[in-house]
Amino acid sequence: MNPVFDWHALAPDVVLAATVLLTLVATFLLPDRDATQVSRIAAIGVLAALVPVVTLANDGADRAMFDGAYVVDNYALALKAFFLVAAYVTILLSVDYIQEGDYYRGEFYFLLLTSVLGMSVMASARDLITMFVALETISIPTFVLAAYRKHDRVSNEAGVKYYVIGVLSSALMLYGMSLIFGYAGSTRLAEIGAQVSAAGAPPLLAVAVFLSLVGFAFKVSAVPFHFWAPDTYEGAPTPVTAFLSVSSKAGGFVALLNIVFFGFYGVDGAGTELWWPVIWVLAALSMTLGNLAALRQTNVVRMLAYSSVAQGGFMLVPFAAAGIAGAAGDLGQADTAFGAVVIYLLVYGAMNLGAFAVVIAAARRTRSAEISSFAGLFQTSPTLAVLMTVFMASLAGIPPLAGWFAKFVMFQSAVEAGGAWGITLAVVAGVNSVIAFFYYAGVMRQMWFKEPAGEDRSEIEVPYALTGALAITAAVTLVVGVYPQLFARVGELAF
Amino acid sequence: MIAALDITPTYYLVVAAALFTIGGVGLLVRRNTLVMFMCIELMLNAANLTFVTFAKALDDIGGQVIVFFTLVVAAAEVAVGLAIIVAIFRRRQDVTADDVSALRG
Amino acid sequence: MTEFYRQYLAVAVFVVAAFGMVGAMLGLARLLRPTNPQDEKYVTYESGADPLPLFGQANVRYYIYALLFVIFDVEAVFIFPWAIDVDGLEWFGLIEMTIFIGVLLLGLAYVWRKGLLKWA
Repeated sequence: MNPVFDWHALAPDVVLAATVLLTLVATFLLPDRDATQVSRIAAIGVLAALVPVVTLANDGADRAMFDGAYVVDNYALALKAFFLVAAYVTILLSVDYIQEGDYYRGEFYFLLLTSVLGMSVMASARDLITMFVALETISIPTFVLAAYRKHDRVSNEAGVKYYVIGVLSSALMLYGMSLIFGYAGSTRLAEIGAQVSAAGAPPLLAVAVFLSLVGFAFKVSAVPFHFWAPDTYEGAPTPVTAFLSVSSKAGGFVALLNIVFFGFYGVDGAGTELWWPVIWVLAALSMTLGNLAALRQTNVVRMLAYSSVAQGGFMLVPFAAAGIAGAAGDLGQADTAFGAVVIYLLVYGAMNLGAFAVVIAAARRTRSAEISSFAGLFQTSPTLAVLMTVFMASLAGIPPLAGWFAKFVMFQSAVEAGGAWGITLAVVAGVNSVIAFFYYAGVMRQMWFKEPAGEDRSEIEVPYALTGALAITAAVTLVVGVYPQLFARVGELAF
Repeated sequence: MIAALDITPTYYLVVAAALFTIGGVGLLVRRNTLVMFMCIELMLNAANLTFVTFAKALDDIGGQVIVFFTLVVAAAEVAVGLAIIVAIFRRRQDVTADDVSALRG
Repeated sequence: MTEFYRQYLAVAVFVVAAFGMVGAMLGLARLLRPTNPQDEKYVTYESGADPLPLFGQANVRYYIYALLFVIFDVEAVFIFPWAIDVDGLEWFGLIEMTIFIGVLLLGLAYVWRKGLLKWA
């Protein structure tokens, strides 16, 4: 008996997989020193994979395959679209960097797209096996990408640290999954949820859930499992850092969304007290320590690394909120919280990729990632300075930019969850939004009020690809901020 | 037949838990990168043993399938890890985690 | 003596017999053969290849082959379940497996084009 295939639903992933193979073939058939052809194939493949995503969204029906292990619904499609667009922007960020660097190799795009394929599958995964394979497909290529400048000691170190932490988190998560499988008697997330609700909270199940959550906490670099992130982000090539801090992190969050909402949340909210305190602590620590550490940074990439740890904390808030509301028997809140995480992910992706695009553009002149190297950017390159201001202000959550809307839905979920713990978490998030403003404003101060350091005061030349990346990310950041209704529909996604 | 011991799934689970702990402690204590890789292998295989035990006890094939994937993933991880180590090794003589310290977190 | 211990007695008899057999053969050979010691005879490989030191560093070239072996070897695990049910999976299974092996061959082709299969 053969399984039934819905080829339309599989089309985005099949197109992406075919592109991955094409880039590999192109890498060894085309001349070694020319990666532009490979980058074109990669970019076209990513855009081609978006076509079936759009037709599926038009169709609107939920499609489940393989006994419910692989599901294509609106939530999966929204995230597939996000991962593909983020991949396209990452390719735009990388083209000139790779071409001008020491390693003109097409393998870069092969590794990048393999990781994106894992993310696309992760959006549809509703089964422990599928999730594990998807998560490893995301992670393994990124270990190589982090160490991509292979003669550079710092890049090597970034790779080793990321590798050891990544593999350790996989092992913890896998062991947790094996115990969960033992309890639930199934690898399907839906059945796991039913069993968690029925079983209450036996101690060993708590251990299993805790182990798998710690594994995911490493992946999304939540405090206290974040220590690898600043080192890896600083050492890796900057476009790779952008990819790690946006796509790879989002991949981890999608995995967490799947396992928490489709699995642990269960059917009637019973058993949520098993996991929400863990996520509550992770969220509060990530926001606070991430922001405090970011305040002290003088290197803009390290600052963005700690800022992304803090932003990850904000994204964890709705998870805890859903658990608090669920334990109190208020099941309606879970949909709000679920939508809030998805919105925050999409918005964070746009503004953080944009910030990295400006960093890469500015570093073409200054060859430096120090915050002081942004001094007087407004005098030399006003457009870049204005764009950086937009992205920094959006990350800080200032209206009317997209980051403000994302923060708003995040606060909404925490406040509506109610209870002492929900309100406390909202207060912690509020205080941290204020702290965060200071270090984002620090970059703005350098750009607007300082004198440029170097002799060369001509405008920084930005290549076409980088201009495209800046345009896409800036458009999303501005338009979503002014018309939140565009993404508000995403917030109506039920799980 | 030797029937003095009745081997129940619990025995396998205890062995797996012990393997996982040994791997975890080894990862934290040992500084040699290659030994750290071995410890990670130990942890992954502890998870495999747990999966197989439950698959047998619950009569659910899913637990055995995931072991196949874990084996392949572990092989791919080791390949990537060794490749990164060799990249460092080409310029340095020994590989201990303490030497990897140009970046301080 | 219980049935349980009698079973172990059988194991013990086998162990003694095994050691006795090997000892008798080697002892008999020692009595009958001529002795004419030379250094070359004590080398591990009489073909002439020098053995590597036990705890020395192996050449980094070996690692590529070890890795290639491990990766392609482990992939074979997916072929076994398919082989058991070749008839049941019909053409669909065959096409799936062809694609799977094709992807692996692409990897091998990449390694070959990059010149890693040459013992340089």
